[in-house]
Amino acid sequence: MASDGHPPEPGKEEVATTASGPGARDLDDPQFMCCVCLDILYKPVVISCGHMSCFWCVHKAMHIFQESHCAVCRQPFKHFPSICQLMHHLLRKLDPADYKRREEEVLEEEKRIEMYSPQIIEFLNSKNNVGNDADNRNEDSKTRPPQEVSLNGSVVDDHSKKIKLEDVSCPLCKEMLYQPAVLNCGHVYCVSCLPSLTEEALKCDVCGSLHPGCFPNVCLDLDHFLEEYFPAEYESRGQKVQSKKGQCNREGSSSGTSSAKGSSRAQHDDDLLNIHIGVGCDSCGEYPIHGKRYKCKDCTELIGFDLCGACYESSLKLPGRFNQQHTPDHRMELDNSALLGRVHQDLLMMEGGVIAPGAMVQIVFENQGMGDNGEGPGEAAIQEPVDVPGAMLHIAVDGQEMEDNGQEDDQEA
Amino acid sequence: MVDVSRVQKELTECNRDREVSGVSITLHDGANISHLTGTIAGPADSPYEGGTFTIDIRLPGGYPFEPPKMQFVTKVWHPNISSQNGAICLDILKDQWSPALTLKTALLSLQALLSSPAPDDPQDAVVAQQYLRDYPTFAATARYWTEAFAKSASTGMEEKVQKLVEMGFPEDLVRSTLKSVDGDENLALEKLCSG
Repeated sequence: MASDGHPPEPGKEEVATTASGPGARDLDDPQFMCCVCLDILYKPVVISCGHMSCFWCVHKAMHIFQESHCAVCRQPFKHFPSICQLMHHLLRKLDPADYKRREEEVLEEEKRIEMYSPQIIEFLNSKNNVGNDADNRNEDSKTRPPQEVSLNGSVVDDHSKKIKLEDVSCPLCKEMLYQPAVLNCGHVYCVSCLPSLTEEALKCDVCGSLHPGCFPNVCLDLDHFLEEYFPAEYESRGQKVQSKKGQCNREGSSSGTSSAKGSSRAQHDDDLLNIHIGVGCDSCGEYPIHGKRYKCKDCTELIGFDLCGACYESSLKLPGRFNQQHTPDHRMELDNSALLGRVHQDLLMMEGGVIAPGAMVQIVFENQGMGDNGEGPGEAAIQEPVDVPGAMLHIAVDGQEMEDNGQEDDQEA
Repeated sequence: MVDVSRVQKELTECNRDREVSGVSITLHDGANISHLTGTIAGPADSPYEGGTFTIDIRLPGGYPFEPPKMQFVTKVWHPNISSQNGAICLDILKDQWSPALTLKTALLSLQALLSSPAPDDPQDAVVAQQYLRDYPTFAATARYWTEAFAKSASTGMEEKVQKLVEMGFPEDLVRSTLKSVDGDENLALEKLCSG
């Protein structure tokens, strides 16, 4: 149940929402709840562990200078994934009124903080489109419309349902998603289809972007939903996938991924000083950026537009993680203003090169970039985000011993 | 800024099954949503059984992305809770907090902490020493503190009044004094003697 701090499971959600959610729920419609805001998911983001939260709920919970951890399972992740558009459209069709309410609430909050989540344009050729969003001002579409799917047999008994099979189809096998996994770019595949994309790295077939980090886990919330919503199709898809073969079934990949994670972790710690506090890459979502950071000189939005070194050099141009109006003709420049290494040097100078081990390092952070609105669950205290562009960092060193200073030691070592 | 709608949902959700879960949350002063009071029932088969423990909850501006600040108001004899000021040593209220946790799950964790202390990671060194070296004394002290402090508010008031009246103090004075010290029998006695 949502309030237990566990990922909501479709079967249980009616209980959790009856009192808090406005309006009576259709019991046939399972609800997707965000475990952070305890409301219906809005602009859902699926992390590679398979857990889902709202765009802002994930972003605000991310750590500004360390790797972040999933709020539900605590699995570490370094990239802020794109919004899962399939889930977004699914949620909107399931409960248009409530989704609209969420949209208005979130927009109000976005106006207050002057930062906007990306606009999502409609599926262009979706015939059963119920939405009439006027959000089409972002011409640079993030998704291509889903490929046309031929689903001759199943239309008859489905016309009463809000969700059609083509809304939840895999772009590779063109059939209904079975054990769906979501890539960093927000596109959804059957987990059994994904290995066919693997060459050196996982590359999305729809948008062409590389999936960084570990192999994604199945998004169980969506999987359970499909199982309940399309029981017959789900069963037949299951049998098909099982009978196909075991070799490409990466269902049990979670253990493999964590060990791969461990080896890259050590390397990551080595150059921890090389990260840009509170600045994320708008292309791959790496947060914070690690290594070179390029900043757009022409984007006027408060949130700014930044790229990591790899994305700057790649030819792939995707729209930003937020609602920036960045275009390819904007000028980019190398920017080190938020580099933790710099902060660290300043710190050493201030303290005459000596910092007692375990001293609490408090970074007071005023930033124009991502993440100045929330504080991660870590120890660094970020105070008073200021709305003035231009990053400023003030550092205070406190001699107090901390209860758990392992992470602080990492930076000081 | 505290996420007001989330806190309101949490309050509704938590208080719905308060009889079953044994935890409940109320607004501390009725207006300020970032200052709350939680109560937990002492877990069965522990020295805290039968007690009702009050916890002061303050929500920082970053809640739920920062952990709530919790402190026992009721005096508790427990290795991970300060016997002086009620400060709590629990990882999920510090670095292990996750925004998917709620006030209710945090209170339930406190209830679990009462059932299974972690003396190796103590908040109160004296209590932890006693727990490790002389468990029977620890259990007896914890039970006594539960009787004395965690049952005072609702139950046993009449017995205390009677006891103090029997000592020779006038009933009116006893009642008002007990009230002024939140039902703490010892403090009331001290006050009556000195006053």
